[in-house]
Amino acid sequence: MPFLESHLLGVIVAAPFLAALALLFVSPTRPGAIRAISLVGALVSLAGSVHVALGYDLARGGLQRAERYPLVPSLGIDLSLAVDGWSVSLLLLTGVIIVTGVLASWTLTDRPRDFFVLLLVLVAGVFGVFVCQDLFVFFLFYEIAVLPMYLLIGIWGSRGKVPAAGPFAFVWRRFDVGGREYAAMKLTLMLLVGSAAILVVILALYSAAGGSTFDLQALARARFPRELQLWAFPLLWLGFGSLAGVFPFHTWSPDGHAAAPTAVSMLHAGVLMKLGAFGVIRVGMLLLPEGASYWAPTVGGVAVINVLYGAICALTQRDLKYVIAYSSVSHMGVVMLGAATLTVDGWNGAIYQMFAHGMMTGLFFALVGLVYDRAHTRWVPSMGGFARQMPWVASFFVLAGLSSLGLPGLAGFVAEFLVFLGAWQSQHYVWALAGVLGAWVTAVYVLRVGRDIFFGEGPRSDEIHHLTDARRSEWGALWVLGACLVVFGSYPRLILDFIHVATLEYLPRAAGAASALLEASR
Amino acid sequence: MSPLYTALLCTFLPLAAALVLVLVSPLRRAGLAAGLFSVATALIAFGGAVTLLLERWSGAATPVRETVRWLPHAGLGGGAHARAVIELGVQIDGISATMLVVVTAVAACVQIFSLGYMAGEPKPDFGRYFTWQSLFLFSMNSLVVAPNLLQLFLGWELVGLVSYLLIGYWWSKPSAARAAMKAFWMTKLADMGLILALLVLFVDTGSFDWTVTTSAAGAVTLLLFFAVMGKSAQFPLHVWLPDAMEGPTPVSALLHAATMVAAGVFLVVRAFPLFEQAPTTGLVMAYVGAFTALFAAVIAVVQTDIKKVLAYSTCSQLGYMVAALGAGSQVGGFFHLTTHACFKALLFLAAGSIIHGVHSNELSHMGGLWSRMRVTSVAFLVGALALAGVPGLAGFFSKDLILEHVLERGLWAPLGALLVAAFLTAFYMGRVTLVALFGRPSAHAEHAHEGGVSLLAPLVVLAVPAAGVGWLGAKLSGLYAAPVHFHLSPVGMVATGLALAGLGLAYWMFGAPQGGGRLRAAFAPIGRLARSGAVNARFAWGYGVLGGVSSIFAWFDRYVIDGLMNGLGYATLALGARLRGLQTGRAQDYVYVLVAAMLGVGAYGAFWSR
Amino acid sequence: MGLTGYLLLAAALFSLGVFGVVTRRNAIGVLASVELMANAVNLNLVAFSRHHAGPTGQVFALFSIALTVAEVVVGLALVLLLFRAKGDVRIELASELKD
Repeated sequence: MPFLESHLLGVIVAAPFLAALALLFVSPTRPGAIRAISLVGALVSLAGSVHVALGYDLARGGLQRAERYPLVPSLGIDLSLAVDGWSVSLLLLTGVIIVTGVLASWTLTDRPRDFFVLLLVLVAGVFGVFVCQDLFVFFLFYEIAVLPMYLLIGIWGSRGKVPAAGPFAFVWRRFDVGGREYAAMKLTLMLLVGSAAILVVILALYSAAGGSTFDLQALARARFPRELQLWAFPLLWLGFGSLAGVFPFHTWSPDGHAAAPTAVSMLHAGVLMKLGAFGVIRVGMLLLPEGASYWAPTVGGVAVINVLYGAICALTQRDLKYVIAYSSVSHMGVVMLGAATLTVDGWNGAIYQMFAHGMMTGLFFALVGLVYDRAHTRWVPSMGGFARQMPWVASFFVLAGLSSLGLPGLAGFVAEFLVFLGAWQSQHYVWALAGVLGAWVTAVYVLRVGRDIFFGEGPRSDEIHHLTDARRSEWGALWVLGACLVVFGSYPRLILDFIHVATLEYLPRAAGAASALLEASR
Repeated sequence: MSPLYTALLCTFLPLAAALVLVLVSPLRRAGLAAGLFSVATALIAFGGAVTLLLERWSGAATPVRETVRWLPHAGLGGGAHARAVIELGVQIDGISATMLVVVTAVAACVQIFSLGYMAGEPKPDFGRYFTWQSLFLFSMNSLVVAPNLLQLFLGWELVGLVSYLLIGYWWSKPSAARAAMKAFWMTKLADMGLILALLVLFVDTGSFDWTVTTSAAGAVTLLLFFAVMGKSAQFPLHVWLPDAMEGPTPVSALLHAATMVAAGVFLVVRAFPLFEQAPTTGLVMAYVGAFTALFAAVIAVVQTDIKKVLAYSTCSQLGYMVAALGAGSQVGGFFHLTTHACFKALLFLAAGSIIHGVHSNELSHMGGLWSRMRVTSVAFLVGALALAGVPGLAGFFSKDLILEHVLERGLWAPLGALLVAAFLTAFYMGRVTLVALFGRPSAHAEHAHEGGVSLLAPLVVLAVPAAGVGWLGAKLSGLYAAPVHFHLSPVGMVATGLALAGLGLAYWMFGAPQGGGRLRAAFAPIGRLARSGAVNARFAWGYGVLGGVSSIFAWFDRYVIDGLMNGLGYATLALGARLRGLQTGRAQDYVYVLVAAMLGVGAYGAFWSR
Repeated sequence: MGLTGYLLLAAALFSLGVFGVVTRRNAIGVLASVELMANAVNLNLVAFSRHHAGPTGQVFALFSIALTVAEVVVGLALVLLLFRAKGDVRIELASELKD
């Protein structure tokens, strides 16, 4: 199939979108067909991603499988797709998460058609961001990925308990804090403000580069003036960072994740937050290397706050989803920390952390959704002893927890270790210390939450005897994600080799110390 | 089979067993079959380990070292980093071969023992237990055969995980769930030292090997020692070990006495070339180890739970090993590790057998078991005497070696502490033996009886090395260092005398029909202090502080940071509410503004812009 | 008479129209005032057309007249609807969009 082979990236991006289109023609009363079509769309993308990974020529490296479809030639806007090593790994992540996400929302009964349409459109945008080589279209896909979230949370979301207190309590009473509309609105507004900042920079870069092309490679060669870089980089960092949960723009994350339905949380924490971090690295650090190295200490410092602050906040949360959401804030800090080190190991670690954390948090949210589905509560103090009824759910929860606290043999460790190694190499010793400490705090809260929910005696056994372990399609989600954590944790080179190739190519641009490093590693 | 493949077999066969047990549900749920399957793989691994050791024993084999790249890495510029690789692999030499035999032997014995000890468990739980046991053997073996500190760290963390899983085996018991968590937290806290040591070492030298020369040896070894303190339960990071006794007794024997807790000592033995470059760390280790040996021995004296006595005794003996290594005696530390693994595993299994017979951990519930459980009692006695350092038994040789080295280095304070600890060790072991085996039988002990053959066979098997492994010391030390020639030194004679005195005192206080009451009363304050759990309270306090800090942070995030964000939204809304007053809805008002603006613009254009 | 006279006349007409739009409360009156303003513009177009001696302005004026007619139709229809809805044609009655 030569057509498929030469347009594979287009197919990967278009498949969820086409599936969403097809869903519009299916009667909303036939949930079976709706799920099947969604699953097929997701599976096509996953299969395509796997094929791309298998076919990627590691020896050659660089951008491969380039496809180009002119959109607005007069402005230099093309839909140009290509993969490098980073994209390969993130494509795989997205493919796995969307397939498991569809599986995890198999039992959704409330307007399933609309739900899956939005979910698929969202994921098409995510795929687009990862393979797109044109800055304008990059931004377009970014927005496509962000906006459906508003409806997905606003319509299918749930409520968390947030009492009105503190110095801003009068504000709380005005809003329906904790409600799903509130969460959806907050998330969308904060991300859109970020987008505005990004758009400003994109246009500035476009005109500074001559106003003839949005091509990322061309822009990367443009060598922007230093003043531009110095003001544009922080804007990009905070703009994309609002999606990556950079402190203090992370506050949409707990509310948003808590309110979102299972599959949306999985996608959001698993993949979407990575778009932000990916944007900071791909656009910020590659196009604006001088700005990046000037601002790197700040980025790293804030990332340290993220790591520790998120972990410490997670420690005391009583709502299960808030725990996981704060842990995401903490772990995204590790990504930014790795990026800020501007070292090979740090960048490898940052991208690998995106991959590992995606898998792990996907598993976490799948499990949380499952527990919520059975127990109808996310309030940790009201749970306990669930392992008796749901041993496998408990096992997978512990597995995900162990990955998040960086247990060797699971994917999270590799990422964190590389990031710490990078931090130490960049001589920011405090970063490494803070990261290690953050991992320990993670151990404290993850194990505590796991104990509170699954172990011990629990409330009253007659209240929980109706709980059931995972069911058919849920098994699929749990096993796939769990297996990924173990496999990619014990033999990380499956993914890391791709990432490494791309890092070696890109890092010299950002870090300067280039040629010696490339020579040395070959 | 080449040594490499034998080592791989020893390591990965248990992993395969664990995976099979996880994935093949029917086998796991079958109970006994799962246990037998796991035992079979453990025995094969033991066979492999023995082959490896015998090859070295005959002196023919050279060390084997094979590695594969694990992570891609590109260093900073040139120098050491240019060729740096991050790899895992297998290294078989005298140290790892010996340790491999110790680990697999104890593990096989413990697994066989567990077949009988855990027989009353529900079948799926029984299967789960053996899954973890197999996983432990894999983790420990991968730690033992590690060719560099990185892999050692991986195995180190994995055994920590299995320890968590096995302590929490009875997870529905809140105390067990809590103890499992606490053990993991404490060791993980200490592991921060290890991971930081890896970072320092790698960035300094571009390698994770322990054979490198580094300018940062002081920092690296201190950080490593911090991790060792957590894993090998050195004061003040020892608090998790007594709690870990919440796990099944065979688990305590394997993980928390013989092998896993010794991993810390093993790390120092392995990384000895690094520690030799840092004399200061050695001093710290000698003092911390000696203090722990004394401190834990004091606490062990007043414990009433037989497992707790053994747990504190383990702390104390690990202190011995650490002190030996601190005094610069690789052989002393490692040899004591070997002998201790034998007799402590024996003691724990014998204690398990007693608990199985009496259905209680409390010493006061035992007594008179010598006549009712003869095999177990003999085994316990052998273990106790070996631990006490009675001449001819295993502990005597290794302790003697340690004391000699500490004396040689002129470390007087540690030497004193260790001698007192030797006295106390003999005393508390004498106390336990006399009370449990020869004391007046309590109601619980009336009907005590021996368990099945799977409970007794491991005791018999382990009693042999516990008694005799000391005589192999010269040969074993020759496998990795200059052979040590054992001879009775003056300090050894002092220690032996103290040990015998301790046993005598114990007999006077607990064995003789009357007497010793006043002395027993003297111990009461220590007993109260130890049982009040002062250290545990400190732990709870630490956790409370962490929780408090966390609450403050969470409140701050929720109501201040997020409040600012919400406040921004609120301000926008409020501004809108003000501005909407301008919008009257009457078209004519708008026309006014329109015309006024037009006139204004026109006037500006006409008059002022010139 | 030169261009200035026409322009002054047109300005006067336009001002009258504005005055009407602002002050009249009857919707039909407002509409008529708007027509006045439109015609002032038409007058300007024609005047300039003559001044520059080209047809463009006149064409434009014709076009404008046609558009004005359409506008009146829509406007009167709205007034009619307003009358039907409120029973009166006072313009301040049509201010519901503000809420």
